[in-house]
Amino acid sequence: MAIPLRKIIHIDMDAFFAAVEQRDNPSYQNKPIIVGGLPDSRGVVATCSYEARKYGIHSAMSSSRAFRLCPHAIFVKPRFTQYKEASQQIQGIFYQYTSQIEPQSLDEAYLDVTHSLLCQGSASRLAEKIRQQILDETGLVASAGISYNKFLAKLASGINKPNGQYLITPKQGIGFIAQLPIGRFHGVGKATEKKMHALGIAKGADLLRFSLPELKLHFGKSAIFFYQIAQGVDDRPVRARQESKSIGVEITYAHDLEERSEIYQQLMNLLDKALDKVFAKTLYAHTLTVKVKYHNFQQITRSLTFSGPIKKRMLMLPVFQQLLEGESVGQTKVRLLGVTLSSLEQQSLYYQQVDLFD
Amino acid sequence: MKFIINRELILTPLQQIVSVIEKRQTMPILANVLFKLDNNLLTLTGTDLEVQIVVNIAFDNDEQGSITVPARKLLDICKSLPSAVDIKFELVKDKLKVQSGRSRFSLSTLEAHDYPDFEMTAMDCQFTIKTAQFKTALDKTAFCMANQDIRYYLNGIMLGIFNRQLKLVGSDGHRLSIYEGEIETETGIESRIIIPRKGVLELTRLLDNDPEQEIQVEFSKNNIRVVIENLTFSAKLVDSKYPDFSKVFEQSFNSPVHVQKQVLKDALTRVSILSNEKFRGVEFVIEGNSLQISTNNPEHEEADEEIAIEYQGEALSIAFNSQYILDAVSNLDSEMAVLTIAENLSSCFIEESSEQNYKFIVMPMRL
Repeated sequence: MAIPLRKIIHIDMDAFFAAVEQRDNPSYQNKPIIVGGLPDSRGVVATCSYEARKYGIHSAMSSSRAFRLCPHAIFVKPRFTQYKEASQQIQGIFYQYTSQIEPQSLDEAYLDVTHSLLCQGSASRLAEKIRQQILDETGLVASAGISYNKFLAKLASGINKPNGQYLITPKQGIGFIAQLPIGRFHGVGKATEKKMHALGIAKGADLLRFSLPELKLHFGKSAIFFYQIAQGVDDRPVRARQESKSIGVEITYAHDLEERSEIYQQLMNLLDKALDKVFAKTLYAHTLTVKVKYHNFQQITRSLTFSGPIKKRMLMLPVFQQLLEGESVGQTKVRLLGVTLSSLEQQSLYYQQVDLFD
Repeated sequence: MKFIINRELILTPLQQIVSVIEKRQTMPILANVLFKLDNNLLTLTGTDLEVQIVVNIAFDNDEQGSITVPARKLLDICKSLPSAVDIKFELVKDKLKVQSGRSRFSLSTLEAHDYPDFEMTAMDCQFTIKTAQFKTALDKTAFCMANQDIRYYLNGIMLGIFNRQLKLVGSDGHRLSIYEGEIETETGIESRIIIPRKGVLELTRLLDNDPEQEIQVEFSKNNIRVVIENLTFSAKLVDSKYPDFSKVFEQSFNSPVHVQKQVLKDALTRVSILSNEKFRGVEFVIEGNSLQISTNNPEHEEADEEIAIEYQGEALSIAFNSQYILDAVSNLDSEMAVLTIAENLSSCFIEESSEQNYKFIVMPMRL
């Protein structure tokens, strides 16, 4: 029995944070706006307006570099409360069309409209309607991609940006993937891209030369996704509300950290915050991951999984020491620290066993 | 370096050494076994930097030299050769040639002087003990130690020595086992150490020599060393104090429950099939001469069974992880098990009916 093709819309707000700033402050309109760290800080660009992009500025670029590229740009500190508010308003609009919504971040979401009867079932007209309603109600501009799976829908939303939309039909799907540079595939970062190139995979079409076992050899768990997507298949469902798999906290410090003892103290503070968040959701975590970004942007992560839940903060100092033993943390200056807790389970499963030492 | 040795002389030492070598190493040379040849003595060494095993093999030979080779591969080669054959080893440039009958192997090597030293501080305490006693003490406690617990001091066995009193304790917090015995000679020592989990597991495997033989145990603040015939086992110790568990003894108890060990084990095994897969909870209802064991799981499946016991006390009900009770009861050597539950239902002692050197404690579950 054939499974009916899905209809998926990927909505992506255009320069979201910058657009909110321009909307709320008319003097910013038609000007290069950079939301993120200030130029004399160590921060980075979170989002910039299309006017700023003309100067070659993009997100994740350091603010000081952005300033050099465009000294007359207006730098604005992010106001997340406002962005969240706008994002919720937009989600409210989505719910008028479907309940199958998977927000990716504040400014992006997948909508599964397979079973929608609105617009005589035309997903393209539905996307147009949603974008219009977003503009009318929030004054913000969105782009949309429409296709039969998440991967292609996301790809499509980037094609006619800003304020546009694009449809990739089932017939066009494979052709699109075939010519797509491998670096733009979901799950392909710099390291994987290098590996792909070494194997002679430059574009989607090149993936078709490999069997699944061959891909598994090189890419492990991700192989299935690559193998299927090369044939235009991406079965990942639009998940209505994702249970979070991990809870983390990280800080970029105003000054690089050089003292090991201070680094451990900072990690303990981050752990406190992460544990508070875990406990607030009545969860327990079993895995602790530490992330360290050095001043040269090199990054390491180290993790450890325990048999029991991570509860007592006091006991964690030796764990941090063990995890970072042999690393040059401190000798190499540290710019950012992060602590993530994962392998989460409901606390209610645990209350039962009595412990001798608790 | 060149020597010929009989397969039976080298096979067991290699097996003992490979057992401590980790499957994945931080340094490639840790996958290797160190060969040191000095006149009539061949010394084999393997380590993961936490635990080290050194075996001395005496045989006729007049050469000297040292080299390291992949341990697991060499073991597999020796294992697969016919029994009692002579094996010829010869170092040719950077390869170790291994030959026996018509089989030839050429193994890669790494320089012996790159092999890491196992750091040890001077041993300030020592005692001797019969193999049988040490093995019993470890076997009766090891099954309770924690595995990967955040409370790292629980991932091992506490060994305490107070002149002639020997005490071993293992606990993962949910259960505890305690061994208390006397050794034959005065030691004059009062000390407590924690042997890490891996060291404990290796040590129990190594103690299969003559049970009546005396072995020598030495330790310092940081290390333990046990000499078993021609083998020396060393391990780093867990640098911590063992937590206080004395409160569990300081309470009032109900009268004991006497039950046939096998009957209890069989009933628990059957009933626990329908318990929660992860937490294995079962409820005990004890009344008169009957123990009713029951359970249910999130799928709303249920099981219960009633067995005969001897019990004089008040009716009570308490719940446990069935696996913990099974482990404890299985470690009793007698046919009868005695379960003594604290009056406030906070713990359950499991012992034999006659006085023994060991007892087990299982903490309950609250349902």
